[in-house]
Amino acid sequence: MICRKCSGPGSLIIRKEYCYCNDCFITNINHKFRACIGKNKILSPNEKVLICLSGDASSTVLLDLIHVGLSLNNHKKLRVIPYFLHIIERDSEGEEISKVIVEQCKNYNFNITLVNIDEYFNKNILCNDNTMKNHYQPSISKNILLNIPTSISEDVLTKMKQNIFIKIAKQLKCRIVFTAETTTLLATRLLSNIAIGRGSQVENDIGFADKREENVKILRPMREITNEEIDHYLRIKELNPATDILGKGYGTSLQSVIRNFVLDLQENYPATVSTICKTADKIGSVTDNVNKKKCIICQSNLDCNQLNLTAVDATMFSRKVSSKVINSNENLKHIEEGNNLMFPFIYEKLCYCCSRNISQLNDPMLQTLVCRNDDK
Amino acid sequence: MPVPCRAGCGKNAMLKRPKTGDALCKECFFWAFETEIHFTITKGKLFKKGDSVAVAASGGKDSTVLAHVLKTLNERYNYGLNLMLLSIDEGITGYRDDSLETVKQNRDDYEMSLKILSYKELYGWTMDEIVAQIGRKNNCTFCGVFRRQALDRGAAMLNVKCIATGHNADDIAETVLMNVLRGDIARLKRCTAISTGSEGTIPRVKPLKYTYEKEIVMYAHYKRLVYFSTECVFAPNAYRGHARALLKDMEKIRPTCIMDIIYSGETMEVKEAVSLPSQRVCIRCNFVSSQEVCKACVLLEGLNKGLPKLGIGKSSKAKRMLEEYNAKQNKSLEEAINNINEEYEKNNCISKGKVCRSSCKSKQTAQINKTHKTTSETCCNGQSDEKLNTDNDITNSKVKVLLKEYGLSEATQDDSSNLISEKIDHSNTEKVANATNDDDFEVDSHNTDEQIVDEDDTCGGACGKIDSLHISF
Repeated sequence: MICRKCSGPGSLIIRKEYCYCNDCFITNINHKFRACIGKNKILSPNEKVLICLSGDASSTVLLDLIHVGLSLNNHKKLRVIPYFLHIIERDSEGEEISKVIVEQCKNYNFNITLVNIDEYFNKNILCNDNTMKNHYQPSISKNILLNIPTSISEDVLTKMKQNIFIKIAKQLKCRIVFTAETTTLLATRLLSNIAIGRGSQVENDIGFADKREENVKILRPMREITNEEIDHYLRIKELNPATDILGKGYGTSLQSVIRNFVLDLQENYPATVSTICKTADKIGSVTDNVNKKKCIICQSNLDCNQLNLTAVDATMFSRKVSSKVINSNENLKHIEEGNNLMFPFIYEKLCYCCSRNISQLNDPMLQTLVCRNDDK
Repeated sequence: MPVPCRAGCGKNAMLKRPKTGDALCKECFFWAFETEIHFTITKGKLFKKGDSVAVAASGGKDSTVLAHVLKTLNERYNYGLNLMLLSIDEGITGYRDDSLETVKQNRDDYEMSLKILSYKELYGWTMDEIVAQIGRKNNCTFCGVFRRQALDRGAAMLNVKCIATGHNADDIAETVLMNVLRGDIARLKRCTAISTGSEGTIPRVKPLKYTYEKEIVMYAHYKRLVYFSTECVFAPNAYRGHARALLKDMEKIRPTCIMDIIYSGETMEVKEAVSLPSQRVCIRCNFVSSQEVCKACVLLEGLNKGLPKLGIGKSSKAKRMLEEYNAKQNKSLEEAINNINEEYEKNNCISKGKVCRSSCKSKQTAQINKTHKTTSETCCNGQSDEKLNTDNDITNSKVKVLLKEYGLSEATQDDSSNLISEKIDHSNTEKVANATNDDDFEVDSHNTDEQIVDEDDTCGGACGKIDSLHISF
């Protein structure tokens, strides 16, 4: 057990292979965080940054890393003006978690803004003077999220939160948003993205910067740090996250299956997570973006239907041949036309996945979601 | 409670389609299933009227259903295709031998011609023998690489326009996941294409690309098709198994995810900045490759040299292994040279006629070479080496040892003052050395003839050369 950095006595082992002492480890994590921000050259000095905290382990570490960066007094000082944000989620623990986070921020002398996820449908979120409890609006988001399969609700929730980040960043005039995704989380997100048909959006969903919104960039400064390292960091610094590390699972979903799978595979093939993330860096999308149309829910560029034959065509055709009474060949041409119930608004207003999500909602909610964002 | 068929035919539904969730009766399912494949074929423009198409047949459910449906659609929609079956015999006891019987059944049932190519024939190794060498890990690498090329070879022999394979939607989704897990960006790019093949190669098409494995099983079951359903005895240890397990778990939660994954694969693209290997032709065997020398040749070389791990893992590793091997071989080369020197000295004492005799022998060698080429037109060097080894006399086996060295160490080859080049017919040496290097081993027979003529000429010259050396001594 010798620290590979300072050759002193080591105290922890990363990836069953690399030994560090506590000090060198913490320095290393700080360095990874700062290097990730630094090498991408997006921040200008005294940039206003909205830092989004979910309360999980990685966001707790992010909070601490920001604090460390700001308290430095040398040339390495982190030159940003931080604004902190937490979104209170739908479940009963939401309030509890928010209290812990407020407490954490108080310890660091930071102010934090709390926003309820239901504010998603509200235009000027911050005008409501932050007292959400007696809010008149019934919990639409709660209803939506409870009535659809968990695989979809996890995806919808992520997109809703992202939209809220952007809205608030705009109101606070922040050009930059920080979120606390780790390598491990991004690896599972890449697979999830592929599994739900968001393959062409990988660059923005997994890469360092989400550039879908013109004026606000969402950055992921912790993307080189693994969950294993987060755990060690918390232990050494004696920090307690407000909620457990992977976020709460809402039953069995595609995402939870993928999470377990990646963590299992990681045990036997330690390079799994980093390999997956490296792959993500190399993936773009087929969309040549001539029309510049964006999905009104997730703001991704819409795939144009330029390929000759895609899974969309095949799925729609499957639906058609299995729902009409036409057992003769002359009608084949007829089948290829007709309206499209499988993928509402695809290529027009919605991307493949959002369209598929919407098709699972019943009608009034569909309208709400789609129209709500439409007039933005 | 019975569910009525969604198509409204009045019958009760027999199954729920995983892709759309619709419940259908047997007849409506058959019709939907076949019509969808027809849609894929026509919309994807997989075939042209009058094409000859080889159906890659393993005897499993996918290829059996593919052969059946293609035959049905070919008649129903008048594609005008000339369909035939192409099977590869990997030489796996307890698996392929049985499944080939099924393919033969298919041949009779669907009235298509059948061509079977075996690994033993093409590469000199059966999978059983390969597994005995390499062990239970990584053997799918060999099997997959060899089969890919074997199909190309078979298609070339049958002179078909394209090969139709039985890859189904599950297979493709699985491959997408696997390539992401392995970080194989080049394959990720092409694995969702419905038709693959660059210029000059025989394209492969996947008519079942959007067909769920479950539906294929149900179709085969209800149609009572004969197929072989045992999993390969060597497969359980493959890395692909991880991706498969994940996909099966996800499918249980959300059956449409297979189509979603395929859609993701179709709309993803490798960023321009990322450099990718371009597809080209292997310099040794002339079949498709992304490298100078194709994987099949590398793997085969490894097998034949007793370095079965050669083609597995990074190419830098392979390089190192080869260097070590060469170093070892160089030692034995020296011994061989000494041997030959001794023999040469013996020969030296005898008359000129003796030398001539040796030149005749080399002529013989050329002849033998020629027969090899004609029997196995496009074989790799490894195989020819092996044959030389088995059916030639002692002189030749010595020659062979030398040839092997020549292929590996250029320094010796260049050293023209070396006695070896005088002992053995010069041009012959060079030629076989080439063969070992496999610069131009793929030979059409016309080419071979020319070379033989050349050799005859230089043979005489070489005799003279040795002779003149004598005089100058």
